[in-house]
Amino acid sequence: MNNLVFVPPLASRLLVGYKHQGAYFLAHEKQRVGKMKTLAAPLQLSGLGSRSKTERSDAQIFEWRVAGIALCVFVGYYLGAKVGFALTFHPHPVSVLWPPNSILLAALLLMPKRTWWLLLLAAFAAHWLVQLQSNVPPRMIFCWFISNSCEAFIGAGSIRFLIGSPVRLDRLRNVAIFCLCGVFLGPFLSSFLDSAFVAMNHWGEGRYWEIWRIRFTSNVLAALTVAAFIVTWATGGIDSLRQLSRRRLLEGICLLLGLITISFVLFNGMVPEKDSALLYVPLPFLLWAAVRFGSQGATAAISAVAFLAILGVANGYGPFSEKSAEQNALSVQVFLIFMSMPLLFLAAIIEERDKAEEASRERDERIGLAAESANLALWTIDFLRHESWMSDKGRELFGFAAIEPLSRELFLSRVHPEDREAVDAAIESARAGSQSFEIEYRLLRPDGETRWLISRGRYVRDDRGRVRELVGVAIDITEQVEAGLQLRLQREEMARMSRVSSMGELTASLAHELNQPLTAIASNAAAGRRFLAQGPPETKMFEELLADVAADAQRAGQIIHGIHHFVRKSEGIRRPINLNEIVREVLRLLHSDLLGRGTAVETELAPNLPVVDANPVHLQQVLLNLLMNSLEAMQSTPAAKRRIVISTTCQANSSVAVSVRDYGNGLPADDVDKVFSHFYSTKPNGMGMGLTIVRSIVEAHGGKLSAENVEGGARFFFRLPVAGKSDMREVA
Amino acid sequence: MTTMAELVGVVDDDLSVRRSLRRLFKSAGYAAETFASAEDYLAREIFDGPTCLVLDVRMPGLNGLGLQETLQSRGGCEQIVFITGHGDVPTCTQAMKKGAVDFLLKPFDDGELIAAVARALVRGKECLRRRAERRHARGRLDKLTPREFEVLRFVIMGLLNKQIAVELETAEKTIKVHRGRVMQKLGLTSVADLVRFSQNAGVSPAEIPHGTKVHYPARRQGVIS
Repeated sequence: MNNLVFVPPLASRLLVGYKHQGAYFLAHEKQRVGKMKTLAAPLQLSGLGSRSKTERSDAQIFEWRVAGIALCVFVGYYLGAKVGFALTFHPHPVSVLWPPNSILLAALLLMPKRTWWLLLLAAFAAHWLVQLQSNVPPRMIFCWFISNSCEAFIGAGSIRFLIGSPVRLDRLRNVAIFCLCGVFLGPFLSSFLDSAFVAMNHWGEGRYWEIWRIRFTSNVLAALTVAAFIVTWATGGIDSLRQLSRRRLLEGICLLLGLITISFVLFNGMVPEKDSALLYVPLPFLLWAAVRFGSQGATAAISAVAFLAILGVANGYGPFSEKSAEQNALSVQVFLIFMSMPLLFLAAIIEERDKAEEASRERDERIGLAAESANLALWTIDFLRHESWMSDKGRELFGFAAIEPLSRELFLSRVHPEDREAVDAAIESARAGSQSFEIEYRLLRPDGETRWLISRGRYVRDDRGRVRELVGVAIDITEQVEAGLQLRLQREEMARMSRVSSMGELTASLAHELNQPLTAIASNAAAGRRFLAQGPPETKMFEELLADVAADAQRAGQIIHGIHHFVRKSEGIRRPINLNEIVREVLRLLHSDLLGRGTAVETELAPNLPVVDANPVHLQQVLLNLLMNSLEAMQSTPAAKRRIVISTTCQANSSVAVSVRDYGNGLPADDVDKVFSHFYSTKPNGMGMGLTIVRSIVEAHGGKLSAENVEGGARFFFRLPVAGKSDMREVA
Repeated sequence: MTTMAELVGVVDDDLSVRRSLRRLFKSAGYAAETFASAEDYLAREIFDGPTCLVLDVRMPGLNGLGLQETLQSRGGCEQIVFITGHGDVPTCTQAMKKGAVDFLLKPFDDGELIAAVARALVRGKECLRRRAERRHARGRLDKLTPREFEVLRFVIMGLLNKQIAVELETAEKTIKVHRGRVMQKLGLTSVADLVRFSQNAGVSPAEIPHGTKVHYPARRQGVIS
């Protein structure tokens, strides 16, 4: 025994790499065979020998566990062979059920490949021990071991190749591979070898094909029952048993007792009539096991039924005891094989479905958690199945009842009436095309509260292109919108204050501007009175006079309207605007001031300028500020040289630029951009906010304001994107 | 020359102001001419009758004050009434100092404007009359020889013949002869007439070269300012 568990240093090093893979199965394997611990304990102590306990690493624990498994294989193989011998229908040399091969197969399936040699060694020892007792010649013993280990090798190798590690029989694909390779291919191929060995050694009386057939069926049955049982229980079976609730445990015990009772009654001569129809009696219990307890339940139930059925046949009882021993054996084998195979598949399918359900539930929970923490509302509407789902947070947000079925109509009924049309159009266009939609809208909740939301969603189509599902997400952005609104209002107010202050500076000029029409009106009125005093006036002349008065009154009104418009709180409405118009309007406003300062203004306005999307008052403010800055800068310029050049240009049809060039002091040479910073001013009374506001207005319109020094003065220019081409940065 | 017409000119860059003022002047009996800018007025041929310009201070190009200066340097007799949208004191003072008739704030009272224009025309007429007199006097002065003119300048300075002789380094008798000829040529009888005549004609008194240490016992100064 010491030979078997001794692991050479090289091997132990190799085993270390498989620690993580192996430890999982080993832990269960160890628990499965309780007595193993007691066997392993003295081995561990003897192995420690010269080492101190504190030096024991995981690798060493693993090493001893592998040794333990090898021991288990030894014991299992030995006992299995004994059982196999017990189930041999004499005088036939081959057993009805031969478990040792399947035990070896299961061990190879569960253990890392690097440990296989050890397992084979253990099996070989057990094989030798058990066969010697049956007086089999050593040569035959050796041959049988070769054919038996070949079977396990073929099965385990091909299964591991196709499934990888770990081997679990909880998926349909895995069960199919297991049945094909482990249950069918291994016994099929190795039986040729086995029969040949028997014939070669002249052992027993059976003919070649007879032996092949008997060995094949018996090994198929063993693989289906024993190997499947060990594999399923070793890969998580014990653990799941522990986690079972008391009710389930009770159910399992009832099931097992029922199955054993029924099988015992059926197969061990308790039924007087040998009616083959009674064979279906265990079926409900088997199905029960598979449905309720998955693959582990199925394999356990199959093993129990198989063991009892074969036991009954061996003792000459039950439905399979009427014919010759060979025929009985074949009958019970075929019966068990074809009963257990579908059960394994069924169990796998059920487990697969359960796992998928659980995974989907977990995913839902995870998404729900994410949605909740991100204030998201998630929803799906399945049009084919007429089902809908929305996260709790979403239902709360929209004010939907917990089970109220969702629909586009219901959703739209919550959207603010002013936004409803746009939202509906966006969803419809997403439905027509296959792209997703993104909309920002207001939500009018049943309690009257208005919230701002962004919704994103898309229609999912099936293979035939039919709309299958609508999935979407909504984010509550009310707080951000309100904060943004507040900020905009503040900025708006500041811009307005700046406009008011500009107007203040222009008061004298504006008064002059307004006085022109007033003077004309007053003079015309006075002239009229004088004409009247001189006698009946000339009608035509008087008509002209009154028309002039009316026109001048209009003009005065327009000037006042312009000032009011400029200074009042604007609603920030943008519309397509020709910048040339803005230039002209501002020059009108500044007309008198320019005269007063003796400054000539030249304009170079590009014809056919594309329109920009902008707030006209804001753009007037921008230009007015720039012009007033230029005027300030030219105060010390000799009158003859005071000149401002305003030009508009169109750049690459995607942006429009306005430039204001003066012949003044220029900008601070060290840092041109300094003029844009807050509170920077060259004027003694300046607040230094003008250009900051100008820049913020230009940027709010998606444009850019720059300044530079040019020959004999400075130049300010800003660019705005042409309406409908907002991505001007590429060009700029 | 005495029966000449009057000219009222309106110079303002605002069309409706020009139209209304022309109408106002028409109602007051003046046929006003209007000009859109100072340059336009300067381009007009010079009118030789009494002229009043109603002038806007703020104009593109040459502004009101600029035109006033130009006209003065041209030596015309145009009288100016300024009108402005906003009356800043420095501009107003400057304009009045340079001889503007009035400075009115827009919008103004029509009576005030018309009164100012009437005053301006009177002043213009006076200016023209004085200019004509001067021109007449100058014509007579041309008959004098340079020596006689020199003697005249010393006489109106208030020097005695004796003193003049010293200045001109000649005999007193010679001076006396010159003096007699001057009075004869100009058709004058008294020194007082001579002084007034010289003033109108714009003849300035002679100046004694600096550094000449001559003491005039009976020198009287300040006769002519």
